[in-house]
Amino acid sequence: MSLSPDDDLAAAEYALGALDPAERAALAARRQREPDLDAAIAAWERRLAPLAETIAPVAPPRDFLAEIESRLDDAASANAVVVDLTRRLRRWRAGAIAAGAVAAALAIGLGLRENMRASLPHEYVAVLQKSADQPAFVVTVNIETRSLTVRPVAAPPQPDKAYELWLIDAKLGAPRSLGLLKQNAATASDVASYDPAVVENATYAVTIEPPGGSPTGKPSGAPVFVGKLIPTGP
Amino acid sequence: MDLGVKKDAQDLAALIARVAGRDRAAFAALYRLTQAKLYGVVVRIIQRRDLAGEILQEAYVRIWERAADFDPAKGSPIGWMATIARNRALDEARRVQPIALEDMPDGFDPPGEDVDPLSSRQRSESLQALMRCLETLEPEKRQILLLAYYRGASREALAKRFDRPVPTIKTWLRRSLADLRDCLSS
Repeated sequence: MSLSPDDDLAAAEYALGALDPAERAALAARRQREPDLDAAIAAWERRLAPLAETIAPVAPPRDFLAEIESRLDDAASANAVVVDLTRRLRRWRAGAIAAGAVAAALAIGLGLRENMRASLPHEYVAVLQKSADQPAFVVTVNIETRSLTVRPVAAPPQPDKAYELWLIDAKLGAPRSLGLLKQNAATASDVASYDPAVVENATYAVTIEPPGGSPTGKPSGAPVFVGKLIPTGP
Repeated sequence: MDLGVKKDAQDLAALIARVAGRDRAAFAALYRLTQAKLYGVVVRIIQRRDLAGEILQEAYVRIWERAADFDPAKGSPIGWMATIARNRALDEARRVQPIALEDMPDGFDPPGEDVDPLSSRQRSESLQALMRCLETLEPEKRQILLLAYYRGASREALAKRFDRPVPTIKTWLRRSLADLRDCLSS
């Protein structure tokens, strides 16, 4: 292994869970790019994993199975697109294709999927990005259920800050917050209180805010990532 | 009930293999068998019950998504599942409660301190090996390491609790972890 002893011990602390937020986020970002570090973290996780046997079970407050299964149902429809997009985006970045081509290819990618997704006419996807070659989040919206899912694709970690999602549309007046976004996992939100036409046509924007979100209820600064929805169904 | 027994591990591994094949019935069975264990993992790190339930759900979604990655040769099923749940809980803990040890109960008793020799048959061989290595650490250092594992306590929180400077905690944790690695590979 070509990992430095210091990095191996950082990996150990990461697996143990003792790093502070900034270091944890930094290492989480590095492991995406550094296979050796990723392998070291996995090895440490395996070394410590037997300790899980010693943890006493605690009955959950209620049965979550039905909720989990419905998330799997949602994911099954949304993930096909998102996983596919994520893969394409990675490939494009690796290939350093000219920026404008990414947006065009995205539209083609989504278009190709239309045939397969005829049964899901209410699905929309937006890629939130700074510029066309830097996609950060993928937003999936189901207009029918008014549910919205945001997945990080390549958003740079913001250890001491939070990403906040906004719905921007002339009909709404001021931007409306859709909540804080998780940096390492999908965030589910709902837009049930908004007019479907607004949800469909609005601009989705992400700002960088203090950890608890914008203290004023309005974006603290200019959006760092923006995008609009594209229908994925007929 | 401890799930560390070999037979249970084989059953869980078989279920995970079926889950990898997108078998929802196997997933439901896996959930029933392991929910309390994983909730136990999560709730020690995320004390807020509303958040802990959310993290548990996300952990199972990940388990569903990553079932094909599970390799029985590399560890126990419950260890693999617990690692997924722990990582979700740790990410969340660092997000919502950057320094949260004030509410850590004093009555915490790391299992390393009271290993029951009679129950050792209930423990997997890998746990027994890990326990033997943990016992070679000095008691305070072992306790710090276990607290980090069970409660997801950060260096800063540990420094406060043990009244030591943060760099000392870092040095101790790293030394302990390096010692563990060497002990496990010997």
